[in-house]
Amino acid sequence: MATQMADAWAVDVQNVSKSFDEIKALDGVTLRVKRGEIYGLLGPNGAGKTTLIRLIVGLLESRAGTVTVLEQRMPNVPVLRQIGYMTQQAALYPGLSVEENVQFFAAINGAEEGVKEALELVELYERRSSVVATLSGGMRQRCSLACALVHKPQLLLLDEPTVGVDPQLRVQFWESFRRMAAAGTTIIVSSHVMDEAERCQRLGLIQYGKVLAEGTPREIRTLGGSQNLEEAFLALAGQKAS
Amino acid sequence: MSGHRIAAITRRLLQQFRRDRRTLALLFVAPIVILGLLGYLMRGSASAPAVGVANEDQGQLGAMVAAALTRSSVITTTTIQASDGDSKLKDGSLAAYIVFPPDFSQQAQAGAIAPEVHLEGSQPGTTAPVLQALQQALISLAAQGPVHVQPHVTYLYGGPGFDTLDYFGAAFIGVVVFFLVFVVTIVSFLNERSQGTLERLMASPLRRGEIVLGYMLGFTVLALVQSAEVLVFSLAVLKVHNAGNVALIFGIEALMAIAAVNLGIFLSMFARTEFQAVQFIPLVVVPQILLSGILFPVATEPRPLQVVSDVLPLTYAVNGMRDVMVKGADLTWSSLQLEVGVVLGFVVLIVLAAVATLRRRIA
Repeated sequence: MATQMADAWAVDVQNVSKSFDEIKALDGVTLRVKRGEIYGLLGPNGAGKTTLIRLIVGLLESRAGTVTVLEQRMPNVPVLRQIGYMTQQAALYPGLSVEENVQFFAAINGAEEGVKEALELVELYERRSSVVATLSGGMRQRCSLACALVHKPQLLLLDEPTVGVDPQLRVQFWESFRRMAAAGTTIIVSSHVMDEAERCQRLGLIQYGKVLAEGTPREIRTLGGSQNLEEAFLALAGQKAS
Repeated sequence: MSGHRIAAITRRLLQQFRRDRRTLALLFVAPIVILGLLGYLMRGSASAPAVGVANEDQGQLGAMVAAALTRSSVITTTTIQASDGDSKLKDGSLAAYIVFPPDFSQQAQAGAIAPEVHLEGSQPGTTAPVLQALQQALISLAAQGPVHVQPHVTYLYGGPGFDTLDYFGAAFIGVVVFFLVFVVTIVSFLNERSQGTLERLMASPLRRGEIVLGYMLGFTVLALVQSAEVLVFSLAVLKVHNAGNVALIFGIEALMAIAAVNLGIFLSMFARTEFQAVQFIPLVVVPQILLSGILFPVATEPRPLQVVSDVLPLTYAVNGMRDVMVKGADLTWSSLQLEVGVVLGFVVLIVLAAVATLRRRIA
């Protein structure tokens, strides 16, 4: 049964733990993300979301457990060609233009042909010659997204992508995430904003390095016994703590 | 290893520097300023120490020595009263004064002369020329006697025109490049870390070796341009003595630059911020400059320090530069083979170290 299902999972995290010195960042986390699904990692600051994403990308190695991405045990360098990673802060070269930034990330993935399309997707094609240091926070965030998806990855990991992005643009971001997912891209988004959680197909609630609950937004609401996702989340967090 | 990905990193670095005027100035203007200053300091009409001469001799000898002192090129003399001497030393108008006592000529006949030399003494550098001038003056006096003193001087290296700038210049050409390239590399690589792009690079198909190699190539391009600029300036403008092959000098300079790039990448792994990186300068760079024989010949160092000097790669690089420029060494010289070999070995070692530490610090 497990082998039969293997193809369906883009990401398969099994019983993963990770500590930094004394602090347990992740404690026995198990979760699976289907191909072509938008999966939301929800949790307060310091819950372990970024650590989990770094483990999935292979930037960190777990002390225990396994991480499998697109059927490859991580860390694995070749599979990174199929992964797009947008870090929490807009990690860009401030001295380069928008286009040069996107071109660079395209080049290291051998995907130069995708630059124009990526710039158009984030609506920065008109501003492609602007130097990143002169851009607003939201524009940097868009440029950062373009760098993450320029090589048309099968799996897109977005660590709080809409922080500092205005509501109008946030809607556009989610619209493009939905389109990409429909085209078969798997997307994992971390967030602590609950209205974004509603837009995900499935959610994983994380706190203190543990998965509190997993399921569709509707299932989470039922589990937490509330019509409001935020209240449901708080209820679930309270149950575990007590 | 993918040449395409390495080229992407190199291209990006050069794009960044094209817009970064400050760093470009540090790389291409600073060395000219430093070497220009050094040249001017060492060669610009250095004023010889001022020496007062008080001739109280009742015979003829004092006047003859005083006249010889006046002709000396290493000091400038004025005639003073012996009683004014000490106050002139105190107010700084004289570095020394020499008194020929009233019985100076009589002493000479008795076989032992004792001119009084009063030194200001707080600046060791001015003492030697005063004593040297006096000795020369006394020798020239002896030459007027029955024995003719006329040393026949030949130079194995250098020549009568060879001066301090020729000696220091040969080393500084390499060291200026080494220092500036090191600073720029360590700070750029730390930027990569602090702005989060390194995390992105590590989450891409780039291999660690490709990152280090891409960086190395990008900075090496800049460093080679800088090396060429420094070399042309030193030879054409400062006219630093060169007895060797210019291509060979450039080769050693380039090796030093590549070593500096990789030392920068390697050490950036041990710093978290640019400020911490700058703290490496007094720890790593200054001791090397002190002990590599640039300022003080290794042979004159205390024994324990010589041991340290002998393991510093910069010592070999500096010796190599001097061997070529001062002595006209070429690659058939075993000393130069050793020096170039050590620097080359260091480059390989530090490249490997840079690649290895890059792995550890990402996890």
